[in-house]
Amino acid sequence: MYIIIAGAGVVGFNIASLLVQENHQVVVIDRSEKAIENVRRQLDVATILNNAAIPKTIIEAEIHRADLIIAVTDSDETNMIICLIAKELGARMTIARVRSPEYSSYFISPATDPSAPRKVIRPKTFGVDLFINPVVEASKEIIDILSSFYPSPVDNFANGIVQIREFRTEKGMAIDKPLNKLNFPRPCVIAAILRAEGIFIPAADEIIKEGDRVYLIAAAEFMDQLGELFVQPKRPASSVVILGGGRVGCLVAEGLRERRIPVKIIEKNEDRSQEIAGRLEGTAVVQGDGTDRDFLIEQGVPLADAFVASTESDEVNILSGLLAKSLGISRNLVLVNNPWNIPLAEAVGVDVAASPPLLTARRIARFALHGGAISVAMLGGEQIQAIEFVTGPTAPIAQRSIKEAGLPKGAICGAVVRNNTVIIPPDDSTVQPGDHLIVISPLALIPAVEKLFT
Amino acid sequence: MRIRVVLHYLGLLIIGLGIAMLFPMSWSGYYGEPVSQSFAISAGITACSGLLLWRLTPGGGGRFSRREALLFVTCGWLLASAFSAIPYQLAGVFPGYLDAYFEAMSGYTTTGATVLSSIESQPQGILLWRNFTQWLGGMGIITLFVALFPLFGIGAAHLVEAEIPGPQAEKLTARIQDTVKSLWYLYVGFSIVEFILLWQAGNISAFDAITITFGTMPTGGFAARSLSIGAYNSVIVEGIVITFMIIAGVNFGLHYLCLWKRQPGRLFVNPEFRFYIGLLVGASILIALNLINSTGMSVGSAFRHSVFQVVSVMTTTGFSTVNFNSWPAFAKATLLILMIVGASAGSTGGALKVSRILVLLKYTYRRIALSFNPQAVIPLKVGNNVLSEQVVSGVIGMTVLYFTTMIVSFLIMSSFGLSQITALSSVIATLGNVGPGLGMVGPVLDYAFVPAAGKVTLIVCMLAGRLELLTVFALVAPSFWKWR
Repeated sequence: MYIIIAGAGVVGFNIASLLVQENHQVVVIDRSEKAIENVRRQLDVATILNNAAIPKTIIEAEIHRADLIIAVTDSDETNMIICLIAKELGARMTIARVRSPEYSSYFISPATDPSAPRKVIRPKTFGVDLFINPVVEASKEIIDILSSFYPSPVDNFANGIVQIREFRTEKGMAIDKPLNKLNFPRPCVIAAILRAEGIFIPAADEIIKEGDRVYLIAAAEFMDQLGELFVQPKRPASSVVILGGGRVGCLVAEGLRERRIPVKIIEKNEDRSQEIAGRLEGTAVVQGDGTDRDFLIEQGVPLADAFVASTESDEVNILSGLLAKSLGISRNLVLVNNPWNIPLAEAVGVDVAASPPLLTARRIARFALHGGAISVAMLGGEQIQAIEFVTGPTAPIAQRSIKEAGLPKGAICGAVVRNNTVIIPPDDSTVQPGDHLIVISPLALIPAVEKLFT
Repeated sequence: MRIRVVLHYLGLLIIGLGIAMLFPMSWSGYYGEPVSQSFAISAGITACSGLLLWRLTPGGGGRFSRREALLFVTCGWLLASAFSAIPYQLAGVFPGYLDAYFEAMSGYTTTGATVLSSIESQPQGILLWRNFTQWLGGMGIITLFVALFPLFGIGAAHLVEAEIPGPQAEKLTARIQDTVKSLWYLYVGFSIVEFILLWQAGNISAFDAITITFGTMPTGGFAARSLSIGAYNSVIVEGIVITFMIIAGVNFGLHYLCLWKRQPGRLFVNPEFRFYIGLLVGASILIALNLINSTGMSVGSAFRHSVFQVVSVMTTTGFSTVNFNSWPAFAKATLLILMIVGASAGSTGGALKVSRILVLLKYTYRRIALSFNPQAVIPLKVGNNVLSEQVVSGVIGMTVLYFTTMIVSFLIMSSFGLSQITALSSVIATLGNVGPGLGMVGPVLDYAFVPAAGKVTLIVCMLAGRLELLTVFALVAPSFWKWR
């Protein structure tokens, strides 16, 4: 595919690097010489140094033959203008990152008189096919994690019947044993293991060690039970402290509020705390410094179940997350903007570090990469993906047995969904047209896997 | 720096070189020349050495860092010349291996300086191999390597940057491999057109047409006749060769825009192209006038010879139709200066490049303007683009390095007792990848008489000139080898 990316910030850079790995033609446009130089040095993409919202620039990028344009500059309005112009000039599909939720909803203009038709403005009118909101992405992820047994993200397949979940193995659990000696209470497949040296799809006799991240694929209903093999489950959070009353903080507070979980927001800025206190009904807002130990104790932080740090600063978030942990909070979640901070934060004791730009980049890449696939999850450092395919009647894989499906060496089939029932390999039934297959594959083998389904 | 990875890919490059030798081998074999045996043996030696190197350094993989890329490119050229000299050595063309190496390096760097005294008596296979090495070197052997093997990811950009002539390698497409491929398609396309034109319209044998094409498109200059293109004495052949020398001296990125993207307008607004054509026309007129004035040559033949010589020298091809060494002093001086100027950036030509001269002239003008108004802010513009100070300082640094190399090599060459004009023009002609110079290394003479140490100096000049100096000299810098 020929893909244009407007904006070479963290999101733009990460999307570009994912797309290049899958061998797409990518052009990156940005106004900043420094950002462009950074991209040029590290990625095999073409670059244009100019403002992407100027028609001349995207014409130079040959917009007429672009399969996709992704607008991820800093400004919502610029992104929408880029998409509008791009659509007019012939781009096949457009994606805009828009932080402000108001833009992506419908507007209905007030009627001037009762008989006149009211005008409806749809997001499509802006020429944007897909709005991506990093704030929404991040808060969804946080709420998902807080309301489940395990402090780790989950990916859904086949309408949520099958899940892939990441577990960080703890002491005393099913570790130091070869996989084929493990006694799983329910059928499941270990899709991948992430260790210091990288992510890999394990062999049958691989030994899981403490601290490994295990990606488990199983039917959703058994996931909680299976997780006990690796991690001591915790009950879902029943009271949460959020540091930082920014957009993400507020959205998380609202989401938790809907689930009737009490929330307390700590915001440093006085004006901002006044503002959100007025807006968020039923949420306690306190004004103060989240890195002040005494203040946190006074505010009853040690009594809460979970701590979410969502200020603008990565460093403040990580430090306050650690501080909360030292005060005895059982779960801490931290937002970092720079994706490189994720492994650092998790190494020093943060349970989950989430990066909104990275979540956005992954979401866009999922959308862009596999038009034919139903859903996609990127495991670990993005080197391995889990992709859900539907078997067509003429697909080469149909009527073969799952074992001999002809998947390229290195890729495995994690699960099959047939008539809403989950079949976990090993299984010797034949693949039927209409089956959903969840295939785990390294990036490089994906084209070969895709051929089996087309 | 991972030397092992560099060696691994060098092995692959050498295997490819062994395969390339099959071309002259089959030509010689078809025409029943005994020299085809030498090619078969050389191809065997080369391919086996490559295979050995490749297998002994398993693994590889990963992307090339900038240092690895520089090391790979320089070593690639040195080794390619070393192996390509084997057929000359086995066929007994030259008295020693150094001469064979000189000829091979002169081929790959598209210099066209020859140590071969009796060209007509050589078998066709040898002459074809000489010109084939030029043709491979014209667009770049490493570039071809990158186009054929999609192995390097981002490292490929470093490799191409180290090899493509000009201040910076432009990326015409999103992926560097596509850029390199389209450059090679254009190059091959032009070569085929020139071959057919020469063969059919020029009415010369297919062998002559091939060798001339292999000498023109890379702006090489090896000819299958001692008298170069003058031997054919045909206005049509000269016209075709002039046209394709001019084409080869234009930035291939511009060709890409004109022919591939169908935007021919981009050609004539390009400041470098306009300056390039202007210089060609101006120098041709001046030399023609000078010839008419001082030698009494007829107007027609004065222009015919002056245009051919100017185009050949400025594009750094090095073909000739007359012995310009016997021309009046002004004409010779003009040609010598054109040898330093060279062709456009991103073309197959060598020397300092027209675009750098353009920047230098504008920079000099700015210095003069600043002398009477130091507060003036004068951006350096080429076309509509304002050049960043970084680019400008790069151009100036490159020019200083170019002239330093020239002066030092001139001194070295003089120490062997060569006359000033011979010593200087031999350095200018090899550093600029032109080929023939003036004096004892003039167009109808050769480099065979140069002492061994002088040949080594000129070999270094050729390589450094082709790889734009920095690629080669970086390896000499002590800090290149340190971890810092």
